[in-house]
Amino acid sequence: MSSETDRSTGSTRVLGDTWRSVDDGLRSVGNRINPVFQPLADGYNRLFGAYFGEMNGLQFLLIFGSLLGLLTAPFWGTFSLIQTMTIACIWAVFAMSWDIQSGYTGYISFGHSVLSGVAAYATAMLVYNVDPEMSMAITIPLSILAALAVGMLIALPTLRLSGPYFSLITFVAVLIFYRMIRPFSEYTGGETGIQTVSVFTYDPLVRYYYMLIPMLVVAVALTFVARSNIGLVLMAIRENESAVNAAGLDATKFKLWSFVLSSIPMGIGGVLLVHYYGSVDPTTFVVVDNSIEMIAMAVLGGMSSILGPLGGAFLFVMLEDFLLEGLPASARWTILWTIILLVLVFARDGLFRKLWHALERYGRRGETR
Amino acid sequence: MLGTLLSILILGAMISAVYALIAIGFTMIFGVGGVLNLAHGALIMLGAFAYLGLTSTGGMLSLPPLVGFVIAVAVSAAASYAMYAGLVQFIEENVVITFLATVVVALLATELVTFWFGTDPYQLVPLVAGSIHLETVGTRVRYMELLGFVISWIAIGLLWYYVTQTDEGRSILATSMSERGAQLTGVDLDFVKSRTWLIAGAFAGIAGVFLGSLLSTYPEMWLNPLAIAFIIVVIGGIGSIKGSVVAAYLIGYLETVTIQFLGSSFQGIFSLVVLVVVLLVLPQGLYGREFVHE
Amino acid sequence: MTLLEIDSVTKKFGGLVAVDDVSFTVDRGEIVGLIGPNGSGKSTMFNCIMSEYDVTGGTIRFGGEDITDYRTHQVVNNGLSRVSQESNPIDALPVGGNIKLFTLPNSVVSLRGGASEEEIYQYAARVGLESELQELPDELPHADVRRLEVAKALATEPELLLLDEPFAGMNQQEIRELAATFEEFREDGITMVIVDHNMGGLMDLVDRAVVLDNGDKLMEGPPKEVTTDERVRKAYLGGTEVP
Repeated sequence: MSSETDRSTGSTRVLGDTWRSVDDGLRSVGNRINPVFQPLADGYNRLFGAYFGEMNGLQFLLIFGSLLGLLTAPFWGTFSLIQTMTIACIWAVFAMSWDIQSGYTGYISFGHSVLSGVAAYATAMLVYNVDPEMSMAITIPLSILAALAVGMLIALPTLRLSGPYFSLITFVAVLIFYRMIRPFSEYTGGETGIQTVSVFTYDPLVRYYYMLIPMLVVAVALTFVARSNIGLVLMAIRENESAVNAAGLDATKFKLWSFVLSSIPMGIGGVLLVHYYGSVDPTTFVVVDNSIEMIAMAVLGGMSSILGPLGGAFLFVMLEDFLLEGLPASARWTILWTIILLVLVFARDGLFRKLWHALERYGRRGETR
Repeated sequence: MLGTLLSILILGAMISAVYALIAIGFTMIFGVGGVLNLAHGALIMLGAFAYLGLTSTGGMLSLPPLVGFVIAVAVSAAASYAMYAGLVQFIEENVVITFLATVVVALLATELVTFWFGTDPYQLVPLVAGSIHLETVGTRVRYMELLGFVISWIAIGLLWYYVTQTDEGRSILATSMSERGAQLTGVDLDFVKSRTWLIAGAFAGIAGVFLGSLLSTYPEMWLNPLAIAFIIVVIGGIGSIKGSVVAAYLIGYLETVTIQFLGSSFQGIFSLVVLVVVLLVLPQGLYGREFVHE
Repeated sequence: MTLLEIDSVTKKFGGLVAVDDVSFTVDRGEIVGLIGPNGSGKSTMFNCIMSEYDVTGGTIRFGGEDITDYRTHQVVNNGLSRVSQESNPIDALPVGGNIKLFTLPNSVVSLRGGASEEEIYQYAARVGLESELQELPDELPHADVRRLEVAKALATEPELLLLDEPFAGMNQQEIRELAATFEEFREDGITMVIVDHNMGGLMDLVDRAVVLDNGDKLMEGPPKEVTTDERVRKAYLGGTEVP
C-alpha cells in the first residue's frame, strides 16, 4: 500500500489533495447536520433499531427525507417525473425481491422475470379465458399464488445444484416460458398478448400511489426479514454454505424459503405491472432482459441490502426514462450498461451502500484520519 | 418416411456441429477459471458482424469471403482475449461479480452493434454459394451447411489433438481438472487462461459466421444459440469437452426432430424436458465433475 | 456406555478405498485419539460421520440411533459437531456473529431466535476469545481463528465433539492452552474424538487411541500401548509409501 503512494505521480497527488479537502468539507458539513437529526434518529433506534438496524442523524435524514419525497412527489414533481417514478416503484419491487433470494444467497437467478410474468399472465388469462368481469379480489391473490407455485417449480429441482448450474437453468427457464406462450396462443394471446386487463385507475396521480404503497410495504417487510436471523442465514449461505450446514441449519430449506420470500413480492410486482399497462405480452413482461435489468438495479444500489436495490431501481429507471430521455435507445442503453459495468468493477458493493457508509463516516464527530 | 429420417439425420448433424463449437468454448472457459462467460454469445454476434463488415458487397472493403472469414474469426478470438486480459482477470476472484460483468459486456456489445448496424437482420455473403438437391432424400442441402459441418469438425478435431497430444494443450486439460493440482505441477495458469479464452473466442467466431449465414445476422442473434449452449453444457457436464460434443448432438437432433414434426413453435421445449430429466437423474451431467452438493 | 459406534464403515472414491471396513466405539465422557499417518483415512472418517460424504458401506450410530443417512444439519442437531481442519469463518461477520450463526434454530420462521449476547460471550469465553467478539476473522491471528472454530462447534451444544487437527500450526504455548481447554470440556461432560497425525502431543490428552493406516484400523488401546506398538511405529516410519 505504501509503495503505491510512494510511486504516485504529481497529478495523482494533487487529485488526492483535492479529494482530501472535499472529504474534510463534507465531514464538517456532516458534523453540523448530524446532531440536528440525531435526536430523531435516537428515537427511531429505540423503537425500531432492533428490527431494522440503527442509524445516525444523516442516515435518518436520507431515509426519511427520501420517504417524504416519495410520498409528496405528486405535489412537487412534474407530470413526466411522476410517470417515471410510478414505473420505478414497480421495478423497485422486482429488484428487492430478486435481492432477498439472489443477492443474499449468492445463487444468482436469471429467471425472476418468469415469476412476475407468471403473475401478470395469470391475471390476464383469468380475465381473458375465464370471466372478463372477475374481481381483482380473486385475480390478485390467485396470481400471486401462481408466481409462488412457479417459483417452487423452478427452485425445487435447481437449488440442490451449485451456483453456476442454478444460474444457467434459471436463464433457460425464461426462454422456455417465453416460447411456451406461442404454442398456446389460443389462451395466451401469443406474440401480441392480451389487452383486456383493467387498470387500477386512469388518474396518473392516484395510480402513482397505487404503485408506491405496495412498494413501501414490500420494502419494509423485506428489510425486516433481511435484518432478522433469516437474512443472516441467507447471507451465510452465500459466504460459506457448508458452514451453514455445520451449524445445524438446513441450507436447502433456507434457500427454498428465500425463493418463497422472493416469489410472493415478485407476484405482487407482476400484478402491479399488468394493471399498470392494462395488458400483457411476452416482450414487455417475460424476456430475459427484464431479469437482467432487475439484477442491474440491484448491482447499482448494492446487492444484499434490500434498500440498495430500491435506490438502484429508482436511479436506473430515472436514468433510462427521464435523464437520458432525449437520446436514441441504443445510446441510452450503452450509457446505462457502461455505468453498471463500472459499478461492478470499481464499486462492487453498490452506490447506495457506499453512500450509506459515507454518511456513517461523515456523521462521526471529530474523526481524524 | 425414410426420406424425412435421412433429412433429419443430415440437417441435425450439421447444426449440432455448430452448437458443439459454441458449447465447447463456453465449457472450456468455465473449466479453467470457473468463469461463466455470458458474453460468449456476444462473440458469436461479433464474428458474424465482423464478417459482414469485411465482406459486404456494399461496404468499403468487400474482401473475398474466405479472407473475411479468417479475419472475422481472428477478431472474435482477439475480443475474447481482450475481455479476459482487460476485465475478467481483475475480478475473477469473485464469481458472482465476474458472471454479472460478462452479462453486462454482452448487453453493451449488443447495444453498440445496434448503434452502428440497427436492429434489422442482414444477409451475409456466403462463403460458398449454391446447394445440392439430394434426390433420394428429397431435401436440399446448402453447401454452406456442409462447409459448416466440415469446418466445425476440423476445429473440434484440432482442439482434441491439441489438448491430448501437445504439452501446451495438456496443461489446459490438467487445469480444468484441478486448478490447484495444475499449479503445483508448474502450469502457468495465466498462459493457460489466455490461451483458452483465445480458442473459445475463435470457436465462437466460426460459429458466428455460419449461424449468421445460415440463419440471419442481427444484434440479438446470440441469445438462442447461447441458451442452447447452456442446455448442452449442463447436459454434457460443465467443463467437459466430450460431454459438450455428445450433448450437442443430442440437442441438435432433438431440435431438428421437433421442428420437423411439430413445427418451430415447439422449438426448445423438449430440450428443456431432457434437461430436467438429466438434472434429476444425473445432476453432474453426462461427463461432468461433481457439482452437486448435499 | 457407548455414545458413538462406527460399524464396518467403508468409503470408496471410485477405485480408491479411503476407509476400509473400520469399526470402533467411543464411550460417553471419553477423549479418543484417532491417529495415523497422512492419508490414512482419518479426515475421511470424520467426513463420513458428519455426512459430508455418503458411506459406501457400514453403519454409524450415535446414542443408539442410526445416523448413517442423516444429512449434515441433522447430524449436528443430534448432538455431534466438528471442528474441521480448515478454518472457514464467514469473513463478513465479526467473531460474535460467527458464533451466533451456530446457535440459530433450524427454522425459517424464527426471526429472533438464537443465543443472547450473554450466551455468545460465554461460548467465546470458554475458548478465551471473549475480548475479540467485535473483531473480523481476517484480522485475527491464526490461533484465534482456530479457537473461533472450536467456539462455533461448541455453540451447537454438542455431546460429542470431533476435532480435526485442532493443534495444526500452533506453537507449544498455544497447544498447551488449547489442550487445557479440552480438559475443561471433558469436565463439562463433552465427549471428544481428536484427529492428529502427530502422535506425541496427543497422548497426554487422550484416554484411548485408534490407529488408522491406509484406510484400515491397525489397532486401538491406551496411549502407552499404542506408542510402544511395533506395527504403529512401522506405519509411521514407513508412512511415505503411497497406496
